Amino acid sequence: MAAEDLPSEFDVVILGTGLVESVVAAACSRVGQRVLHLDRRSYYAANWASFTFNGLLSWIQQQQDDTQPEETQDWCDLLEEGEELIQLSSQSSIRNLQVFTYTSKEDEVEEASADSVNTTEEEQHGPASQDDDSNQENLENHENQEENKENQVNHENQEENKENQVNQENQEENQENHENQEVNHESQEATITEGAEPEAEQPQSPAIPSQSEPSRKKISFAQLEKEGRRFNIDLVSKLMYSRGSLVELLIKSNVSRYAEFKKVSRILTYRNGEVEQVPCTRADVFASRQLSVVEKRKLMRFLTSCIEEKDDQSAYNGRPYLEFLRDQKLGENLQHFLLYSIAMVTEDTPTEVGLASTRNFLRCLGRYGNTPFLFPLYGLGEIPQCFCRMCAVFGGIYCLRHSLRCLLLDTATNRCKAVIDSRGQRISCSHVLLEENYVHERKNVATPPRFLSRAVLITDSSLHGSDSEQEVSMVTIPPITEGAPAVKMVELSSSTMTCMSGTYLVHLNCSSVSSAYQDLSPLITTMFSTPESHDQGRPSVLWCLYFNMEDGSAMEVEGHDLPSNVYVCSGPDGELGHEHAITQAELIFHKILPEEDFCPPAPNPEDILYDGGSAPSSGPEEEPSLQLEV
Amino acid sequence: MLSKVQLYCCDCPRELKFGKSSIVCRFVQDHFDHNISPTIGASFLTKTVPCGNELHKFLIWDTAGQERFHSLAPMYYRGSAAAVIVYDITKLDSFQTLKKWVKELKEHGPEGIVVAIAGNKNDLGDIREVPMKEAKEFAESIAAIFIETSARNAVNVEELFQKISKQIPPLENPEVDSNESFKLTQQPVASTRRCC
Repeated sequence: MAAEDLPSEFDVVILGTGLVESVVAAACSRVGQRVLHLDRRSYYAANWASFTFNGLLSWIQQQQDDTQPEETQDWCDLLEEGEELIQLSSQSSIRNLQVFTYTSKEDEVEEASADSVNTTEEEQHGPASQDDDSNQENLENHENQEENKENQVNHENQEENKENQVNQENQEENQENHENQEVNHESQEATITEGAEPEAEQPQSPAIPSQSEPSRKKISFAQLEKEGRRFNIDLVSKLMYSRGSLVELLIKSNVSRYAEFKKVSRILTYRNGEVEQVPCTRADVFASRQLSVVEKRKLMRFLTSCIEEKDDQSAYNGRPYLEFLRDQKLGENLQHFLLYSIAMVTEDTPTEVGLASTRNFLRCLGRYGNTPFLFPLYGLGEIPQCFCRMCAVFGGIYCLRHSLRCLLLDTATNRCKAVIDSRGQRISCSHVLLEENYVHERKNVATPPRFLSRAVLITDSSLHGSDSEQEVSMVTIPPITEGAPAVKMVELSSSTMTCMSGTYLVHLNCSSVSSAYQDLSPLITTMFSTPESHDQGRPSVLWCLYFNMEDGSAMEVEGHDLPSNVYVCSGPDGELGHEHAITQAELIFHKILPEEDFCPPAPNPEDILYDGGSAPSSGPEEEPSLQLEV
Repeated sequence: MLSKVQLYCCDCPRELKFGKSSIVCRFVQDHFDHNISPTIGASFLTKTVPCGNELHKFLIWDTAGQERFHSLAPMYYRGSAAAVIVYDITKLDSFQTLKKWVKELKEHGPEGIVVAIAGNKNDLGDIREVPMKEAKEFAESIAAIFIETSARNAVNVEELFQKISKQIPPLENPEVDSNESFKLTQQPVASTRRCC
């Protein structure tokens, strides 16, 4: 916190605290490299971060006025002979941010039938009574009450905006875009308090006991803000395959001791307008009520048989997996489950790919639970932090709100020999890692970046009621219309410590076809209750956010006209698992240190210093479920 | 009954090698090592302390120096029932830093976290820069535990943790297990592979 100078020499300097960067930081520090790990942001994990509700509102604000005119200073006095400067500047990889608040601003005074006049009054009082918090910018537009009713105008604006949405040049227009939205979100509110609210109470999930809520009261925006700390809202939407490379790495390196996990408790799918549970274990299959006895037998036989590779399968190589499934004489039900929910592929995916992902699914089943997936408590943003901690424990130095201005290139060797940080300090180093946001201008213009479409919803009930209020669900959604993307959805309950009790946090993710709003809002309107929905008997959306994020999967580690010892770490990709990031981290590590072991187990501190036989797993009552240390 | 008390210790002075690790080391192992490694040694330690009819298990997280440039990760706060912030009574600026940490903790830490302020090196009273009265008043103003310790001479270290132990609120509904979370391990739980 003080203006302390950093040491002037490191082995590895890393800019950005995303997952790839953090894993490499931990791996290098673990084998004795001196690591300096920086991030220009005030938070860890870059585009992999999770935020409290209020934190997310400030993040949105930051994205909206992210112009940051970085003054280009002349650092030539820091240059030595034979050196050249490479200026660094970052560019946001977030586009088309849109926010909608579908719940009332303040607590309803009386039962929900508040008329619109009433609401208006409340809203006028809103900002004044709320300014204890710095994140109120979003609310400030609320003075524009006159515009409230002009829904039409807003919709037109949206149409216009759609046209330029995936276009990354249009920063300014996007800016306008946001302004329109805020007005828009204003009017949405008015709409919902008028009509939608009374019926919106969880009629489709009678199993949920309404004990905790003072019944029939919708959670207000003010409450979301008040309980904002209970939220940990991820920018990425992923799950951890229980035998995937991230889980294996966490275990192998002992980084796992810094985090706790929840099992994803069920897999759902959206089919014929209904949400159904996908049976994936033997017990599920037998308990399933959707499947006939014949189907159950067929499904079991199929799953058992496809664990091994067989000749009759290879005959289908290159042909669609769906064709293979059809020829197995599996009915429509089973084909849907197998294709979209178990293999999680599309109709034209080749058979060998479909079979491989089916096997991966089966391999991950039963390690920890009845689905192949885990989710970290407090959100995915914990994972990079855990690796950063490992790096720090082995001596890595951490500095947030601190960036690099330029690289110093040794022209003779084409290697970066030093960097200049945002305070103008020269720091020499042998290797540099940059997050991908710093190489935007250097990207190949011929291949424009791909984007992911994301939506984050806070809802008031689960998509599929069950005995437990605390289900963690993976929901697979096939394209709802021809040409629409297949969407992966994760519904988190408050037991994951990512949302306040009485709410659910829903993440949607797909490869973008157009803007996030265009890609995902039709689906959200049909699966949930929003002011645009016709059917109100579904979970109500209280608040939602749309944005596009650059897809990191195409990012090359090397090249980009950068010196040979500078590596680029890609941001989040669109896959459900973390294979891409972990593979890339290991690749970069071995480029830096070809001889070294990647993340060998960290010694257990208990073993070094304290041996009272009290490994952290004593006492069964303490950790009722599954705590076990190595 | 055993309740889990996660706490983290955070150092205020700028020099890396300082009191926090030595306090933790004194508490857990009852010894004082002049050359304690600030890194691997004390990154994560546990000790069980009897408190009334209960046993409190302290899981002590060292911040591994991440606080040095004001870059502590929020993961340190997760599930922590208490935080110990250590300053050096012979360094006034460490006490100023402490105040910033308290603010940070109040803003981002879990609600109701027990804060303990420990003025270490009280064996060096003759070069004291932070008057005990001032520190005590500050602690009272924020309802924090206050104690001066000497890790070197084992003064008040046990007492510090005893005080924390007494203030830890009783475990909320230990019966309710809606929150079945777990750690990942090398040998996963009896892998009854029930897949098809």
